[in-house]
Amino acid sequence: MKFIAIAGTSAKKSYNRSLLQFMKKYFEQKAEIEIMDIADVPMFNQSDDQSNTEILQMFNDKITESDGVIIATPEYNHSIPSSLKSLIEWLSFELHPLVGKPVMVLGASRDVQGSSRAQLHLRQILDAPGVDANVMPGYEFLLGNAHKAFDENGDLNSERTIDFLEICFLRFMRFSKISNLLNEEEEFEFNPGDYEVSTLGHGGSLPMKVTFSEKRIETIEIDREGETEGLADVVFTRIPDRIIEGQTLNVDALSGASETSNAVLDGVAKAIKLAGVNPDILKRRPKPPSALKREDEEYTCDVVVVGGGGAGLSAAATALQKGANTIVIEKYPAVGGNTIRSGGPVNAANPEWQSGFEENPGERTTIEGLLATDEKLIHAEYLEDFRALKKEFEAYEEKFKGTKGHLFDSPLLHRMQTYFGGKRTDLNGNDIYGQYDLVKIMTDHALESVKWLEEIGVEYDKSIVFAPVGALWRRGHKPVKSYGTAFILALRDYVEASSGKIITDSPVKEFILEDGEIKGVIATGENGQKITIHAKKVVLASGGFGANTKMLKEYNTYWQEIDDNIRTTNSYAMTGDGILLGQSVGAALTGMGFTQMMPVSDPETGELFSGIQVPPENFVIVNTEGKRFVNEFSGRDVLTKAAIEQGGLFYLIADSEIKKTAANTSEEKLELQVAAGTLFKADTIEALAEKVGMNPESLADTIKKYNSYVDAGFDPEFHKDTFSLKVEKAPFYATPRKPAVHHTMGGLKIDTSTRVLDEKGNPIKNLYAAGEVAGGIHAGNRLGGNALTDIFTFGRIAGRTAVEEM
Amino acid sequence: MKYLAIVGTNADVSTNRMLLQFMQKHFASDVDIELCEIKALPAFYEPEGEEVPETVVELSKKIIDADGVIIATPEYDHAIPAVLKSALEWISYTSQALTDKPVLIVGASHGVLGSSRAQAHLRQILDSPELAARIMPSSEFLLGKSQEAFDYAGKLKYPDKLAELNEVFREFLLFTKITTELLAEKAVIKKDKKYTWQE
Repeated sequence: MKFIAIAGTSAKKSYNRSLLQFMKKYFEQKAEIEIMDIADVPMFNQSDDQSNTEILQMFNDKITESDGVIIATPEYNHSIPSSLKSLIEWLSFELHPLVGKPVMVLGASRDVQGSSRAQLHLRQILDAPGVDANVMPGYEFLLGNAHKAFDENGDLNSERTIDFLEICFLRFMRFSKISNLLNEEEEFEFNPGDYEVSTLGHGGSLPMKVTFSEKRIETIEIDREGETEGLADVVFTRIPDRIIEGQTLNVDALSGASETSNAVLDGVAKAIKLAGVNPDILKRRPKPPSALKREDEEYTCDVVVVGGGGAGLSAAATALQKGANTIVIEKYPAVGGNTIRSGGPVNAANPEWQSGFEENPGERTTIEGLLATDEKLIHAEYLEDFRALKKEFEAYEEKFKGTKGHLFDSPLLHRMQTYFGGKRTDLNGNDIYGQYDLVKIMTDHALESVKWLEEIGVEYDKSIVFAPVGALWRRGHKPVKSYGTAFILALRDYVEASSGKIITDSPVKEFILEDGEIKGVIATGENGQKITIHAKKVVLASGGFGANTKMLKEYNTYWQEIDDNIRTTNSYAMTGDGILLGQSVGAALTGMGFTQMMPVSDPETGELFSGIQVPPENFVIVNTEGKRFVNEFSGRDVLTKAAIEQGGLFYLIADSEIKKTAANTSEEKLELQVAAGTLFKADTIEALAEKVGMNPESLADTIKKYNSYVDAGFDPEFHKDTFSLKVEKAPFYATPRKPAVHHTMGGLKIDTSTRVLDEKGNPIKNLYAAGEVAGGIHAGNRLGGNALTDIFTFGRIAGRTAVEEM
Repeated sequence: MKYLAIVGTNADVSTNRMLLQFMQKHFASDVDIELCEIKALPAFYEPEGEEVPETVVELSKKIIDADGVIIATPEYDHAIPAVLKSALEWISYTSQALTDKPVLIVGASHGVLGSSRAQAHLRQILDSPELAARIMPSSEFLLGKSQEAFDYAGKLKYPDKLAELNEVFREFLLFTKITTELLAEKAVIKKDKKYTWQE
């Protein structure tokens, strides 16, 4: 038999280790005992998973292969040492080698106690779910006065002690033998057939059908209607695939979608039970082979794109169009990045299309206001465009004078709004504005990006010009399919159909550098394996750092305070990895202190798509007292600052007509939210106020005034300049909102061809960046709908430049 | 009065931290509570010579300066997290700053049990002669279902738990006062106990 012995301390000199060394020697003829040292095991931290490190993998493998484990624990403060506890925590987190493993607990101490209290604690700890060791009962071996117990050869010097140790050890050998029988799998047979079950997923009930033959789970079909597309999509294919592949329920949940993953696992377990088998048998099976695959992988290609969001997939699609062999490497289990979470519309001035729509009341006032800006306040490089825009608008006013015109727009207006929208001053008095050459490229090529996407396979709803929150203008091209999913699915399919390779679950950790030159990237694969990708060119499209609160706080120069518990609308993968990678090769950063908050986020989750989200011309924002406090059509940072001044929390008021303009929801979802108390609904404004906890008269008064402003097309209080609907038709709704981190404007410094620049302004060879990882465009504040314009325009440029410079 | 509130975990997101943050605000008019993180402490080792890591010295000083200590512990494998145990080992091996210090134990867990087993272990650990803290007896604050326990303003939502916490905390204020008075009398008696670290 083979046992692993662990001395539960990191101390250099330890009587517990001496005791194990004596056992190893003394029982040599009976069993093989290998002593393992825990001094190099890192402190457990659930936020910093190190299960894949060599040392923990070694513990996992050796314990798994052994017939049993012997733990000798010292006693520190009446309990086991933190170093031993840390090891056990690691071995009950992602790795579980101790499950069902026979364990012998013993211990030594200098006092007479012989670690008695620590041993009791250890027994309780080993019994915890997740550890699930099979600890030998009784046979308590306590070595007191340990400093007097050994002779000069390291042997125990008392015959009685040795005799008792031998009794305990022989018992443990027998215990292990019998106990390991429990770990052998029970025989079972499914009652063949189809079984329909239903569990609770993220978006409600999740029906599925599981088919069994006598020995196997054959198919798992999931009705995915209730779940959001994107990541859930991956869950619904990957989890069933893994279950069937390994004929096991020992399948890891996907990070970022654990709720849905577990729902699938629960559903299959239910079906297994219906088919007459104890699901626990399948839970105890090993993980499927692909989850255990740990061999290193190596690839060679022309262009490697780091990040599979909208920017990365556009870069890859363009590189493929130009004939380059391309790999996309993505950290998350699925492509999509932040793009898949976005509201949908992409800004691009297309006067030809927009002139088919009537102007809204107040829109001309917006342009007049913009054009009334004192030229002294405009940076020199934008002046010419500003004057040209004036001329364009003069011609428009000339044409329509006192009559109702069509919706005005042009790339110049888009450019100037992007400029004005991004011009900001931080807390230290530093000014920032969008870099002219980059903003010009983006606004001039926006429409081209929209059309290119159409060729790739994105279908637009051309019946509506959409303006998301903080867009300042109606120039959003809205895809037919909801959310950013439309773009991602089209791009992904295109990349795959063009023989581009997409590797998921693999964060890039470093560049391959040869003589200081970038020659590819090295990533860590799903199971901790090393993935080496040799490439001629590297495009960084890994997103911003909205989910990295530490980094946000470190660079912030714009907000008075960034809360430790700030929510984000971003995917949790947005931790600034690409910025760190760029810095590792000397890339310069720009505008890092400026981040955008999404003012209208779910106060609990940071999500955008809860409640009723409508275009800003239609929503009415009130504070917790039921009073308006801001022009709802303001930029995002103005809304956020105003919200923070009101204490953060505020409400969007809607009526049944306004509700219809919501892009994000269905009646069924809304009713679920009303039931859950995350959305308020009532038949009168007064009743609504009472439900939310506002003064009814004050809310009624606010709405009455607001409606009169819509009629007048003029808001004397907050100067909202674009209106559409009044709040008048029951039922009425209030959606609670709070600002959350949405977009990090700063990032790597790039030129107009997306080459990453160093501190001296020279391009870093073979390195390109596009999307949120790059900075310079949106400066202090990004317009709603401009992120997609940015990523699709610069993503395409990055793909093109990389190939052209090959 | 001043309390030091130790967050018993190194996790980035923790409802135990949220609990202490709530207590800090909620009891602000009664007492000044300073939150203290243990993430930066090295994993415990027996230092050679007199060298003690700076972070440990800082923690000891904060404990000594406080009138009482509140520890919020999660439960990992039926016990306190290794990182909290490590911090206590540092204190007991170096300054023994917790000796005779009034201590209140609280804890939160995602499940319904509220870290009950970890809290019981922590009591036994703090009661060991080399720590010898004055743990408030017969009191327990177990916050189960902690993920849903706080609203977006960080306020504790469960009315029954809030009432319980108010009571436990009032009692702890009194316990701190009485213990301090009691120990003023005891100060002259020198300890003659031996414990592991000293041998």
